[in-house]
Amino acid sequence: MSTVSTRGPRAVPPSRAGGPPPRRRTHQTPRRRTQEDSARRLGNALVAPVLLVLLAITAYPLVNNLWNSFHQVILTKPGETPWVGIDNYTRLLGDPDFTDSLTRTLVYTVISVVLQIGLGVVVALVLHHEFRGRGFVRAAVLIPWAVPTVVSALLWRQMFDPRNGFVNYVLGALNLPGSDITWLAGEWTAWVAIFVADSWKTVPFVAILVLAGLQVIPSEIYEAGTIDGANRWQSFWRLTVPLLKPALLTALVFRVLQSFLIFDVIFAMTVGGPGDTTETVTYLNWEAFLVRSDFGAGGATSITIVVISLALAGLATLAIRVRKEDTL
Amino acid sequence: MRHNISRSARRITLFTAATTAVLLTAACSGPTDEADDGVTTIVLADAGLGTEADATAKAVEAFESANPDIDVKIESLSTDGTQYMQQLRQRLVAGSTTPDVFKAADIEIASLAESGWLYDLDSLGADPDSFVPGAVKAGQPDGTTVALPWFANVEGVFYRTDLVPEFPATPADLVAAAKAGAAADPAIEYGLAFEGAKYEGAVTVFNLVATGMGGGLDLDNIASDENVAALEFLHDAIYTEGISPEAVNQWHEGEVQEAFSSGQTVFSTNWPFVFGASADGPVDGKIGFAPFPGGGGTIGSEMLGINAKSEQAEAAWKLVQYLTSVEAQLARAEATGNPPSLLAAYNDELFEIAPYFAQVAAVAENATSRPSTPKYTEISAELQTALSSVFANLAEPRAALEEAAEKISEINGS
Amino acid sequence: MNDRGITWQRMGFWVVVAFILIGSLFPFWWIVKTSLQSNQEFQAGTKGLLPEQVSFDAYVQVLSDPDFLRPVLNSFVICAAVTVITVLIASLAAYGLARMHVRRPSVILGVILLTGFFPVLAMVGPLFLVYRSLNLLDTFPGLIAADLVYTLPIATWLLYNFFTQIPSSLEEAALIDGASRMQALRMIIVPVAVPGVFTAAILSFILAWNDFAFALSFLQTPERFTAPLALVNLGQSQFQVFYNIIDAAVVVISLPVALLVLFAQRRIVSGLTAGAVK
Repeated sequence: MSTVSTRGPRAVPPSRAGGPPPRRRTHQTPRRRTQEDSARRLGNALVAPVLLVLLAITAYPLVNNLWNSFHQVILTKPGETPWVGIDNYTRLLGDPDFTDSLTRTLVYTVISVVLQIGLGVVVALVLHHEFRGRGFVRAAVLIPWAVPTVVSALLWRQMFDPRNGFVNYVLGALNLPGSDITWLAGEWTAWVAIFVADSWKTVPFVAILVLAGLQVIPSEIYEAGTIDGANRWQSFWRLTVPLLKPALLTALVFRVLQSFLIFDVIFAMTVGGPGDTTETVTYLNWEAFLVRSDFGAGGATSITIVVISLALAGLATLAIRVRKEDTL
Repeated sequence: MRHNISRSARRITLFTAATTAVLLTAACSGPTDEADDGVTTIVLADAGLGTEADATAKAVEAFESANPDIDVKIESLSTDGTQYMQQLRQRLVAGSTTPDVFKAADIEIASLAESGWLYDLDSLGADPDSFVPGAVKAGQPDGTTVALPWFANVEGVFYRTDLVPEFPATPADLVAAAKAGAAADPAIEYGLAFEGAKYEGAVTVFNLVATGMGGGLDLDNIASDENVAALEFLHDAIYTEGISPEAVNQWHEGEVQEAFSSGQTVFSTNWPFVFGASADGPVDGKIGFAPFPGGGGTIGSEMLGINAKSEQAEAAWKLVQYLTSVEAQLARAEATGNPPSLLAAYNDELFEIAPYFAQVAAVAENATSRPSTPKYTEISAELQTALSSVFANLAEPRAALEEAAEKISEINGS
Repeated sequence: MNDRGITWQRMGFWVVVAFILIGSLFPFWWIVKTSLQSNQEFQAGTKGLLPEQVSFDAYVQVLSDPDFLRPVLNSFVICAAVTVITVLIASLAAYGLARMHVRRPSVILGVILLTGFFPVLAMVGPLFLVYRSLNLLDTFPGLIAADLVYTLPIATWLLYNFFTQIPSSLEEAALIDGASRMQALRMIIVPVAVPGVFTAAILSFILAWNDFAFALSFLQTPERFTAPLALVNLGQSQFQVFYNIIDAAVVVISLPVALLVLFAQRRIVSGLTAGAVK
């Protein structure tokens, strides 16, 4: 994962050219070995709090869902929880509603992530450039975040109301197509509306991450590049992008997972409608828990979602890692 | 060096441990203690905000002054219906003894009862016959009264009395009247506004229209010809007759009321709160409320139940009795427009407070409630999906209803 | 590069800036506009981009509602606590992972990532039960602990990236000069890591600010509610949604958050200074 080699001086392996086989450990400088051990111990101690907190919060829910997924747990029948093996899973994976929603969710994830990362990088580049009023633009970009996601989704539903919102009104005023479409009532137009509402908050998120990555790149790199005759475009692709890899990777992984797990926006704007065309996997998860009160199915859905998320995170990591390592 | 590193390690671990300890001790400031000076405290779970919460608060105040030894704590779980039920269920599943009294929609009672979370009200002395019959049925899913109606909301058709001289007798007449009204008044933009979003409100509208046209929510017969005709009526209103906008696909009661209260629609399907919400507006005084042609109406009562695990059942029962007394019912009706559930409350005093309650009573007479089954939420979800696809023109009414019927019989079979 | 080329680029740049501002702020303008409408006016539908008759009724209602200001304060307290804790332990962890030869940092980072992506909906029920038995229900510490699930993964990743990008030559130089590791940390690393720390802080604050599911499930008394809960409840009655009131509340809340961000973003200083490397 790191694109910078930061390892300190390595311990030199003992020479075996001649002489009796060295006793374990004594041939190495004792201080160095222990130093590395202590460093590792310190490192573990530093990492421990984060892991402890996260595991403390998620361990029981994870175990609980896992247990539920192998039993029949229906809320209205408390007390009867027979073992059902992988029944919940086979039923889930064989359900066409699930495969449909999985396909939908993945398609939306891919398209929206690509677009949002693209837009986010553009915004980050703009925010990184020095110009008058940059502070104001930075604050303006982050304003959408001041509105909690749940509220934002509700407000966007109103914004897409042909009668009481601005989308149709503005499109009509600018004579652009789409002013007479009820966006939330169309099979794919609903997804566009969801994408817009989602991007309003997630593009700034990507931008901030990428901006942080841009700021670690020292300006000497660019000076060297210009001296060598590289133009703006070349210096962007050959110098900036490789050094942005960690930030891009972070943005990509988190956006992919957040997109896959999208819920609040969909629930507030379309509730999975029209029909079932915007039902995502998290919607099915919600349905299992809160509509069918079937915690066994809900547990199976949750675990399946986690497994798929793992795979997606892995894919995302491969996507950025595959090129050669760059060091600063 | 080594000395420094292990010392740093120790310092960090100590720091983290200390912080965690502080946080945990702070966390152990538990809930407030029960007062033990002869005062019983009961918890009432409610959702409303605005006028409904105010009315509830006032009723509780009046109850407390009449019963000085009972203290009522109102817990507001959420204004959103789904979240309210989720919160309530979470507490009941956890075996909590509070809330002692809670409200729940009529469609939720059957499943709450099946889980054994409702107190037997007959044993406390309930008198179900004193309530509006259509409303109290939901509180008796298997004969025993486990919930009583707090107020009996009923959905009907609102119309502009100035644009519709005679209320239409058939659905076709309604379409014609809608077009005529729209032609007569330039401010009118829609003939019929209804709730078409993917939520429970769409099911109540469908029931309203279907029962008027001879159908209804008979779970064994969802795809009946009458139901298909009813759904076709709503679908055609949007796509053939053009009296309803496509926007209904995202409209809830609020949006429909806004359109009506602003004088932009001739007809609309909604609940009696529209009377109060339209007061002092452009349509004040021109509002009529009637069943859908053929006598269609939907009942949606809010019920009161007592937690089966409540430790203050008698005090809780006293609160329920108060809230369902004539005095409290009239006060609430005046403040919020919630129609009373107690038959005795439909008296002259009520009609003096708000004359429109006479029209509400007329709609309630023939209105039907939705099926009382523990699986209602699941069944309704299938209906909602079907209705939503038809309203968005993604499916044909008959095909959608048949698919829903299939899924519903699967649900009922399991 | 002749002058014409540079002017096109400059214009293009400003066009992009304009689009960014419009995209970000126009919906917000709509929120402001709706907040300045009376109930009747906003119910009548969209007639234009400006309110026909400016009305402050919504603001009066919001600001005079005790159930509104208290939750905003609660949110600030909770989010501040989450931010401080996150920045502290995430920095430590990121530093440890980047510098301390911890075994398999990618695996640890992967675990941290995944704990942050368990569906929140699936967590709420079990956590409710756990909190109940630990008496953590309806308490701030309980909510703060749950919110850390949102913030720790991204903060750790972000700071890890930052620390790995800082060349170890900086620290080595300090250590050679006789400083202890802690001193090196404080005097060399910390100043250079400030941009990353502030970014992580902003992210954490906003992520905690946006929590709804946990607050909804764990908080029971209205005095303890957080801003999103209050916002959702504020302009709604059983059937009606008063967008003008919700929008007024949103505007009132966004102002301090915007100021906070405006202040914090100035601390996101550009790049490693040449002096530090030397």
